[in-house]
Amino acid sequence: MAYLISEEAQELLGAVKEFCENEVKEQCKEYDRSGEWPKEIYDKAIEMQLHMLEIPEEYGGMGLSRVDVAALFEEMAKADAGFATTISASGLGTKPVLIAGSEALKKRACKLIVDGGFGAFCLTEPGAGSDASAGKTTAVKDGDSYILNGRKCFITNGGIASFYCVTAMTDKSAGVKGMSMFFVEAGTPGLSTGHEEDKLGIRTSNTCDVVFEDCRIPASNLIGAEGKGFSIAMKTLDQARTWMGCIATGIAQRGMEEAIAYGKERVQFGKPVLKNQALQFKVADMAIKIETARQMVAHALTLMDKGLPHTKESAIAKCYASDIAMEVASEAIQMFGGYGYSREYPVEKLLRDAKIFQIFEGTNEVQRIVVANNTIGKF
Amino acid sequence: MDWGNHKDILVFVEQAEGKPVNVGLEALAPARTLAGLTGGSVLTLVVGTDNAAAAEKAAVLCDGVLSVEGAAFGDGCTDAFACALEAVVSKYAPAAVLAGNTPLGRELTARLGARMGLGSAQDATALKVEDGTPVWTVPVYGGTVLNDVAVDTVPVLATVRSGAFSRPEAAAAAAVTAEAVDVPDEAVRSRVLETVQEISEAVNLEEAKVIVTGGRGMGSKENFALVEELAQLLGGVVGATRPAIEDGWVSRAHQVGQSGKIVAPALYIACGVSGATQHVSGMSGSGYVVAINKDEEAPIFDVADVGIVGDAVQVLPLMMEEIRRRRAE
Amino acid sequence: MEILVCLKQVPDDSVEIHLKPGTEEVNLDGVDSVVNAFDTYALEMAARLKEAVGGSITAITIGPEKARDAVKTCLAVGANQGYLISDPAFEAADTLGKSRILAAAVRHLEAEAGKPFDLIFCGREATDRATGQVGPQLAEALGVGLITDLVDIEQTGAGICAKQETESGYRRVEAATPCVVTVNKPAYDPRYPTIKSKLAARKMPIPVLSAAELDNVDPGRPGSHVVRVYEPAKRQAGVKIKEETCEESVLKAVAMMADAKVL
Repeated sequence: MAYLISEEAQELLGAVKEFCENEVKEQCKEYDRSGEWPKEIYDKAIEMQLHMLEIPEEYGGMGLSRVDVAALFEEMAKADAGFATTISASGLGTKPVLIAGSEALKKRACKLIVDGGFGAFCLTEPGAGSDASAGKTTAVKDGDSYILNGRKCFITNGGIASFYCVTAMTDKSAGVKGMSMFFVEAGTPGLSTGHEEDKLGIRTSNTCDVVFEDCRIPASNLIGAEGKGFSIAMKTLDQARTWMGCIATGIAQRGMEEAIAYGKERVQFGKPVLKNQALQFKVADMAIKIETARQMVAHALTLMDKGLPHTKESAIAKCYASDIAMEVASEAIQMFGGYGYSREYPVEKLLRDAKIFQIFEGTNEVQRIVVANNTIGKF
Repeated sequence: MDWGNHKDILVFVEQAEGKPVNVGLEALAPARTLAGLTGGSVLTLVVGTDNAAAAEKAAVLCDGVLSVEGAAFGDGCTDAFACALEAVVSKYAPAAVLAGNTPLGRELTARLGARMGLGSAQDATALKVEDGTPVWTVPVYGGTVLNDVAVDTVPVLATVRSGAFSRPEAAAAAAVTAEAVDVPDEAVRSRVLETVQEISEAVNLEEAKVIVTGGRGMGSKENFALVEELAQLLGGVVGATRPAIEDGWVSRAHQVGQSGKIVAPALYIACGVSGATQHVSGMSGSGYVVAINKDEEAPIFDVADVGIVGDAVQVLPLMMEEIRRRRAE
Repeated sequence: MEILVCLKQVPDDSVEIHLKPGTEEVNLDGVDSVVNAFDTYALEMAARLKEAVGGSITAITIGPEKARDAVKTCLAVGANQGYLISDPAFEAADTLGKSRILAAAVRHLEAEAGKPFDLIFCGREATDRATGQVGPQLAEALGVGLITDLVDIEQTGAGICAKQETESGYRRVEAATPCVVTVNKPAYDPRYPTIKSKLAARKMPIPVLSAAELDNVDPGRPGSHVVRVYEPAKRQAGVKIKEETCEESVLKAVAMMADAKVL
């Protein structure tokens, strides 16, 4: 069962599938090896407008439902999870503005995307991972400006973004209530990118440090009000992590499809190995997990579309989908036997790609805290 | 089939650089079969600015050559060619008009069909006679399905696939008759400004005894040189698949397959060729097929007498070494 | 420049088509219908020309209701409007019949718009039957010029100049407009639709032209008939060699080639 989507999304899906098959899937193999950011693939994706699926219609977007978009994201993730991550991380980077930004900032951020740019979300710092409130980046008001100083790390799209949504402390003494969110455009003096990560997986996405050294931005680039940064960041992640679940589901789906195709062709003991019930059960377990993950993603997205609370469901979707993506990728390798371990075959990459989804946008341990808090309540 | 007063079989033989193209001469073979049915003669039509060489070549393969010559019939002037064909057909009222399935052959038969309201069989690979009716074998869907087609209108129009028929045995030269065709100005709607020769090499895949073909699996232009080296060693001709040509490793004159040449050598060696239908349909008439591909599941192995599972880039140097060693012995 | 692109819906040519076992019926189950590849090249060439010199592109196809999808696909990648030519009376038409129907559609659309088409694009052939007849026959039916096998085109003072692919290179051929051109594979690939163009194409009307709209054009009786349909004899697969090392495989293979006396 795929996502239940509109007829128009069904047609888009066909076009996106064709694009991914022809322009992404095979091409990304080489970039997975080199670790180079495949600009020409992204340029083609931008031309096709795949990078702006999440932009609201009033700001030049498509007006598709989130579940419709999820079906398209899954198709991209099946081709290459790093590719889908870049595009989804751009959505993550735009969300703080869409959630709390001024009308002018919303227009500006969306225009940058529509014109072919990407966004990036800058929360994590070397000393502030799961404990996001421990951030040391500061923003000091100076007349009509803020001056930012600090270092962010593990920033997806850090090196290629057109704009950044950055958390910084405006009042160190106030803890999380002293954190604010800012909109910083690429090219602003004092903004630079640092160390680029050489990653295990999603190697077609860019991840690097983003550094602020006396980076002066207009005061109007404050998103929401001073002190609201942490709250905006959490709302952003509440939405964004479902998309990570969506991509993880795509990785798992690819793993299952590869395993089935191989199992039908590989002959041992005179018959295709998939004729063995032991392997059929593996596929059944994959399907059970993938289907469950996908429908959880769909459920969380539907809640978002309806404006209903979705914190717990989003955490479940992300946590579960990434856990099962690891399991399915691992089992896909198992079904390929020795070939599965070889880089000549497509499944070992899936395991490498899947791992990060248990880590970023809130580790799965943090997700479980979120789910526990939202299930047990305060007592 | 009722031929009425139509008896003769007219074959349009196309020329390239003053020589008749192979497939045009090959079309004289099915023409002979048809002439047996109608009791007529096989007539060759050559059209051009200087037909002497082509007419001479064709004269020994048919019963008469009709030559339409003049400045109007330059290379690529298809409007004038269409006029010439229509005029000759009107005058001789043939029972059938055949041509090679080249771009020009297809265009001229299409236009003649439109002018005279005729059906046709295109790209025929065989001709059978069933109850006195000619039945053409026509590949469809890239060659995985064959249709046997009977043309219901007279003259029967057909184009034949390159390499599908063997040209007839040469006999005494027939007479060459000049035909004057006047091309009215208003019939000429396009004009050739320039003809550019990009591929100068003569590649004769149709008559090659050995063909060594390289596909995408060769990986690069440098590696493709191994294919050329083996072809040279075996005294054969280099073939290529469409991907290898699109990547610029070799000119399109080497293309084997549905949109290239249909070949039938005694030995065909496919290197790094996956075996897509469009390619296989062009080489499945080969005598002995050797396939080298690292993908064990590649469909090319289904049509190969000997398949080597391995990277052609590694296999080819070893194969050449072994062949040289055996020759030295 | 007013441009017409004629297209055909065909079974996906990346799929091997076979007969249903024991029948003469082609098995198209599960095979997607796509726009003929050469027609997509024609549309892309037309779209580039339109972008260079201005104008409008109309896409038409002859086919059953489901061929509407082919027109819709084209509306997302450069065509400004599209029509589906569909009528039970057209179903048996051969290439010559189709060229007559297309010619009638050209006249109808020109009368409706009050202006003639300058250029009519067709693919050089369809991937299913590959006869390459419709383009030239349409030119004959309309009594206009024809240039085949284009790989490039540009507008000139009096008409167009085309780059025509030949066996050994190319020709530059000029013709006055209106004329018909057939398109081979150019140096570029057809564009992908954008998400927005795809969504917009969905909403565009695709009117149906039936025989009544086309002056009850008579496609005529087909000039040929199919006697039988079958699959070619398959070559038997031989030996597949996969030894421990490449060297061993090669030795074995060359020995077999020598035994078969092909070296």
